[in-house]
Amino acid sequence: MPQFMLLLYDDPAGFQRLSPEEMQMAMEKYMAWTKKPFTKDAHRLGEDLGRVMRSAGGQIRTTDGPYSETKEILGGYYTIEAANYDEAVKLAMDHPTLEHGGTIEVRHVWGT
Amino acid sequence: MGNLGTPDTGVLLEHLFRLQSGRMVAHLTRLLGPAHLELAEETVQEAMLRALQTWPYHGVPENAGAWLFKVAHNIAIDAVRRNRTLGEKTDAMVAELSQSAAAPHDPYLEDQLRDDELRMIFMCCHTEIPRDARVALSLKTVGGFGVREIARAFLADEAAIAQRLVRAKRQIRERRLTLDMPRGAELKGRLDSVLEVVYFMFNEGYAAHAGEELIRQDLCLEALRLGRLVAASSIVTPRADALVALMALEAARLPARVDESGDLILLEHQDRSRWDEGLIALGFHHFERSMAGEEVSEYHVQAAIASTHARAADPQSRDWPMILELYDQLLEMNGSPVVALNRAVAVAKVHGPAEGLAALDPVANDPKLRGYYLLLAVRGHLLLELGRRAEAAASFRAALERPCSEPERRFLRRKLEACEGL
Repeated sequence: MPQFMLLLYDDPAGFQRLSPEEMQMAMEKYMAWTKKPFTKDAHRLGEDLGRVMRSAGGQIRTTDGPYSETKEILGGYYTIEAANYDEAVKLAMDHPTLEHGGTIEVRHVWGT
Repeated sequence: MGNLGTPDTGVLLEHLFRLQSGRMVAHLTRLLGPAHLELAEETVQEAMLRALQTWPYHGVPENAGAWLFKVAHNIAIDAVRRNRTLGEKTDAMVAELSQSAAAPHDPYLEDQLRDDELRMIFMCCHTEIPRDARVALSLKTVGGFGVREIARAFLADEAAIAQRLVRAKRQIRERRLTLDMPRGAELKGRLDSVLEVVYFMFNEGYAAHAGEELIRQDLCLEALRLGRLVAASSIVTPRADALVALMALEAARLPARVDESGDLILLEHQDRSRWDEGLIALGFHHFERSMAGEEVSEYHVQAAIASTHARAADPQSRDWPMILELYDQLLEMNGSPVVALNRAVAVAKVHGPAEGLAALDPVANDPKLRGYYLLLAVRGHLLLELGRRAEAAASFRAALERPCSEPERRFLRRKLEACEGL
């Protein structure tokens, strides 16, 4: 069965204004998602901004970042199993990231 | 393979976050001082955010409450250190927070947290806090409700509620309100304020006027929880017990109040077996306790009415003469038109619909009831019983023009059909 990566871009402001009850409901949805039968892998990325490495003029430069301007931060990634893109998208439709102002990038894992 | 192997060592109890939020905000506010209430709220929010970000991947911790407690304390420590908000008191505060953070398994913690919540609600009901802000502040801090949820509950504008909260917190800072429990004469007044707020909360939950929701259960149950907190405290007040009795007995009927399609069922047609027996027992227990001493408050009389309803094994054996007597008593204490309206229903049950209508006359034109559909609905009901169909229909039609919830609307339409269709 082909595999697809779901790259989850969170809107940090999206959760700030939730009430405790709403946060709990979001939590339950996240928990349910990590347990879905088609979810092979689920990772959360750290709070920090990470590093960006670039080659410029033959030199490798490493900086903090990359998210100084953008609103959305890559917060996590899942690997799911789906027959094709349409199915992958259909499965990802109810992910809580979307409900709270974030974006999901869906990419086929080559060779699967 | 990622970290999906971690089983759920804990289960998320219903309303865990909301209830924990209330306790923690109260606790941290006591440690940080009421002037820093907002900081307490922010740290609790942040702690829950962290839980949201990690628990789905690492599993729910075995003691979810303790986890939140500890994390909130650590966040508070960081904030206090970073902001130096407390100036030279910073180090002492950090020490106190650190000590408290280590407490989650302290057997006395539960008592301490209850005490903190009690102090918090007493502060929220301080006379210096504008009356219309007391309920919102109580719900936000101790109740753990969000601004949007509070606005929905009271059919208010979200921005207006937010404004009320801002003003209330400013009052707390400017008047230097404390979490000390009032004493003596001041205690009585404050307690009255607290009971009033709790009762208001309960009524709003019980008879929600918005859209499809006839019952805002969360609000009712929170009011009941807060009432019990007060009644269980060392402040001995029979009227607090009476209020708890009243709320418990009415809340017991919630499961029977609507049918499967969410339609309203009148008290006399409710299936008594669907009443919550635990809440009935709780209600009677507190009713007993409220009998201590000489005090007879309005809550006592209301509780007695609820108790009389609850004691009836079936609708036919309901002691309406007793209920009427109690309403007579209540009317003397509280001449409100709503009480008069409820009394008129009892009059009709005891003396017939014509007498009931007569009892309605004094309040029929009361401006306070102008927007209240129930007056017209009761009127229509009694007129229908007397066979005065056209007048009954007019009454129900007028009732439908007033604001009411969807289930109530459907109920009225059926009554209207009963007048016209036959």
